[in-house]
This record gives sequence, C-alpha cells and structure tokens, in this order.
Amino acid sequence: MEAPSGLWREAWQRLRRNPGAILGFGLVLTFVVVAIFAPLIAPFDPRAQDLSLLRGGCCPGPSTEHFFGVDGLGRDQFSRIVYGARYSLLIGVVAVAVGLSFGLVLGAIAGYLGGIVDSVVMRLMDIMLSIPGLLLAIGIVAALGTGLTQIMIAVGATQIPIFARLLRGSILAQRENDFVLAARSIGVPRRKILASHILPNAISPVIVQGTLALATAIIDVAGLGFLGLGPQDPSTPEWGTMLTGTTRYLQTAPHLAIIPGVAIVLSVLGFNLIGDGLREALDPKLRGRG
Amino acid sequence: MLRFIVRRLLLLVPILVGLSILVFLWIRLLPGGPAEALLGERGTDAQEAAIERQYGLDKPIHVQYWRYVQTVAQGDFGDSIATRRPVVEELKQRFPATIELAVAAMLFSVLLGIPLGFIAAKRYGGPIDHASLILSLLGISIPIFFLAIILKYIFAVKLGWLPTVGRISVLIDLDHPTGFYVLDALLTGNLEAFWDTLKHLVLPAVALGSIPLAVVARITRAAVLDVLNEDYVRTARAKGVSPRLVDLRHVLRNALLPIATIIGLQTGLLLSGAVLTETVFAWPGLGTWLVGAIRVRDFPVLQGGILFVSIVFVLVNLAVDVMYAIINPRIRYS
Repeated sequence: MEAPSGLWREAWQRLRRNPGAILGFGLVLTFVVVAIFAPLIAPFDPRAQDLSLLRGGCCPGPSTEHFFGVDGLGRDQFSRIVYGARYSLLIGVVAVAVGLSFGLVLGAIAGYLGGIVDSVVMRLMDIMLSIPGLLLAIGIVAALGTGLTQIMIAVGATQIPIFARLLRGSILAQRENDFVLAARSIGVPRRKILASHILPNAISPVIVQGTLALATAIIDVAGLGFLGLGPQDPSTPEWGTMLTGTTRYLQTAPHLAIIPGVAIVLSVLGFNLIGDGLREALDPKLRGRG
Repeated sequence: MLRFIVRRLLLLVPILVGLSILVFLWIRLLPGGPAEALLGERGTDAQEAAIERQYGLDKPIHVQYWRYVQTVAQGDFGDSIATRRPVVEELKQRFPATIELAVAAMLFSVLLGIPLGFIAAKRYGGPIDHASLILSLLGISIPIFFLAIILKYIFAVKLGWLPTVGRISVLIDLDHPTGFYVLDALLTGNLEAFWDTLKHLVLPAVALGSIPLAVVARITRAAVLDVLNEDYVRTARAKGVSPRLVDLRHVLRNALLPIATIIGLQTGLLLSGAVLTETVFAWPGLGTWLVGAIRVRDFPVLQGGILFVSIVFVLVNLAVDVMYAIINPRIRYS
C-alpha cells in the first residue's frame, strides 16, 4: 500500500523544478522577512507626520531620503509599506485560519457522516455561497462594525463554504477508494482509517486551496480597506486602506496610488505562484510520471 | 427537459428560504436593534411604533419572520434612511447601470479570453502559451480596484483618451427609455451619445473584466488541451476533415462545456467586483449605492441591495445550469 510519505517526497521534487513556484517562494519569503523585520528595515515611524515636507503642496515623490515618497500627511511611504507587510501577513493568516478551521470541521462532518447531516450542512453552505463574496463580507461588516478584526472575520467567513465543500468532496472521493474498502474489510477501526488513509490524501487539495486562499484573503481585505471599511484610524499602514482616496491625487502624486498597489500585487502573485505549483506537484494524475 | 427545469426550480426554494432567514436574522443583529437600524437615529417614536407593528417585533419570532417574508414579497424593502425614498425606486434606477457594466465586462472577457485560450492551447508550450499563462496569473493577482486606478491613470489622466468618471458626459442630453445608456443612445438615434457612453464604459469594463478574462482564458486553454487529445479529434483528422472544421465542429464545441460553467460562475465575481470598480469611476450603479449606504448605516438599502443581488445571482446560476443541460444532454438525467 502506497505510504503517504511517497506522495510528499515526489511532490517536493516536482515543486523544486518548477520555476514559477521558485519565483513565488522568493516573493513570499521576501514578504515574510520584511514583515518580521519591519522595525529594523523601516527608516521612519510609519505613523510619524512631518508636515514641513508638504510645503510645496502635496506630495513629494520618491527621493533619496524617502524612497517611496511621502503621503498627504507627511508620512514616509517606504516605512508604511514595510509595516504594511505585517498587516497583510497577519490579515491573510487570520482570515484563512478562520475559514479553514470552521470550513474543515463542517466539511469533515458532512463528508464522513453523510446522510441528513451532509444535506443540512451543504444546504447551509449553498446559502452562504448564494451571496456574492464581497457583498457577504460587506453584510458581515455592517453587523459587526468597521475595523481591522471585523474585516478579517468577514473575509474568513466568506471562505468557510469553499473549504467545507472541498474537504467534503475530498473525503467522499476517498471513502470509496480501494484501500479504504480493503482496510475496512480486515477490520481496521473507522477512526484509524480516517486518520491514516483518508485524511493524508484528502489534505492535498486543502493545502493548495489554503495557499490560494491566502492570496484571495489579502486582496479581499485590501478591497474592504479601500472601501473605507477597515481600520478606521487612517494612520494605520494597511496597504488597501492606504489606497483610499488616492484617486484624487492621480494627477499630482501618482506614487501614492501605485506603490501600495504594486506591493499587494507582488505578495498576492507570490502566493498564487506557490499555490499553482503545489497544485501541479500534488496532482494525482501526474503521480509516478514526472 | 421540462422536468429538469422544474426540479432545479424546486431546489431553488430552500435556498431562497434560507437566504431570507439569513437576511432576517442579520437585521436582528444590527447595532441598535431592528427598529432603530431601519429608521436611523432620527426616527420618531410614532415611526418606531409603526415599524414594530409592521414587522411584528413584539410577536414571537416565527410570526415576525412570516410578516417579513410577506413584506419583502410585495416588493417593500422599506425606505432609504439617507434619501427617504423607497429602496425599490432607487434599486430600479441603479440596477441598469451595474448590469450594463457587468455585461460589457463579461463580453470583454469572453470575446478576448476564449480566442486567447484557444490559441494558447493549439500552440502549447510556445511563446503565446507562456504569455497567456503569465497574463492569467497577473490577472488574478491584481486587485480590481488597483487595476481600475492604473487604467484611469494611464488612459484618462495621463493620455486623456478616455473620460475619468461617470456613465456619460454632463454636456450630452439623452432620453432614457431603457435605462441602459448604450441601448438608449442607439434607440433614440443619438450617435454622439452612443460614442460618449461607449467611451465611458471602456475602462470600467476592462478593469472589471480582468479577472473573468484571466479565468476564461485559462479554462479555455485547459479544456481545449483536453479535447485535442481525444480520440474523436484524431479520427476526424484521419478522415481528412479540414483542420478548421475539426477545430470548430469538434474541438470548440466540446470545450465549450466547462467554459460555459465558468462563465456562469463568474457572474458572482462580476457582481462583487462591480462594487470596487464603480467606486473608482464614480459609476452610479449598485456598487456605489451600497458603499454609500454602509458609510451612513443606511440598513434598508443594504438589506434590499444584498437580498436583491443574491436573488439575481441564484437565478443566473439556474440559467447557467439550464443552458449547460441544453448543451450537454447527459446532465438532464442527473
């Protein structure tokens, strides 16, 4: 019987040879390092205002002292972008953690117990999915109020049905597998089957989806921040919130809009590249070939 | 076929019921309690009493729910706190704007995405294929609102080729028999307005359609690649059928199935994305309406808007299912 470790080793080898995945890994690594070492990298306090810099009007662009220029209140953009990485990382991880934990539990229950439980849980997920993603998040923010924690929960909640459906489908597919039937026929207890056979194989699409979900979470939270629903304190260096209202300054200070956006794109691209690479690496159809 | 449609319609009922329950509970969770949430802080005691009677807030919860369903079924979503007009009225005004934008975005993504994916598949491994994959990846990694800002910056602010905001120039007079400006311009024979509305539509539609474009191109490529390896394609070629006919009659037709499904699924994304795109271009549709509502806590608008858009989304999914069953007869028996 093929041990799960064979799957991981093969997948890792395929991943290493994928240039896209390597690029993605590089981007994400940079992003994580910047987030962790933000206080050491940022030359200024992201919330410190220096209005004297705006004497010539809004807003000075990139210079040797302020690499990414300065925003409408005299704050150093480079430092804000660097600290913003912390927020984006935190946001992505928390939102996905919320979606993953609730979604997996629901999906596992539905998939393994089947019957009425399955129908009820899946109906609930269908109802959640019938409200388009951003609108569901907006609705949740309306009930919870605006703020960083609230948008993280809102975005996490929109991901629950996706993970639930995914794990349920995966478990259902595994249940009928030959090795599961074989194990049951020799009397292996249900719990052991779940732990040693079903879960390790069902987990790969979850890993892929989790990585892609991180990318989506960062974009969605930035979107909510852009709409003004995120941290209400405008000095918070969250990338999406930094983009609010910059459309007014496109003529005079385009760097205010372009730089935070590019930061979002690069980090999201990184996760998407890794997710794609993982999907190809863990594809069962390619097993035993590449 | 009819039985299939009826079965699908019946499946719709629990979802709509569940949706109405969800929104009903949501109203109860809003800060300040339902009466204050629906009337705003300036609601008088008499108004609050009227709301309580209408929604039966003093009655047991299942009575409340039934009253709520009756109210909504009659098309009464309450009045907007900000404008004091019925939510339904504003909905009727805003809805065509968003639909026009969504349709334009969908057309853009399909008309560009399918050929792109098709060519990428036929030239598998070539430069076009690689370029399409990179573009697709970028397409889903760029936030819609950021793309909208960039497009606005390049084409409207820097180059001045296209307008920055709105659906139509304020200098142009146009009658609105349908509410869809492009259609109105055609129907009233107003050529100047026609070009003007098209110019206003370009940037928002491209921004909104970017993600569907990326997804459609990718799925088309994958679907065509799968079909190209099928036996019936090889047989057709061996029979001597001209390559173009093979492409059209066998490859494209069969690849259309997964593509059609994806297009249906993209509508949800279009409705969500419209909120962000409209904000950047000050497009007077549902998106800007809902965002304005949440800023001033205009809950009747939010309730009406979210409920309405969800119902539309559910119906569109039904239409996609039906269309899928028409294309692929095997589905009708599942």
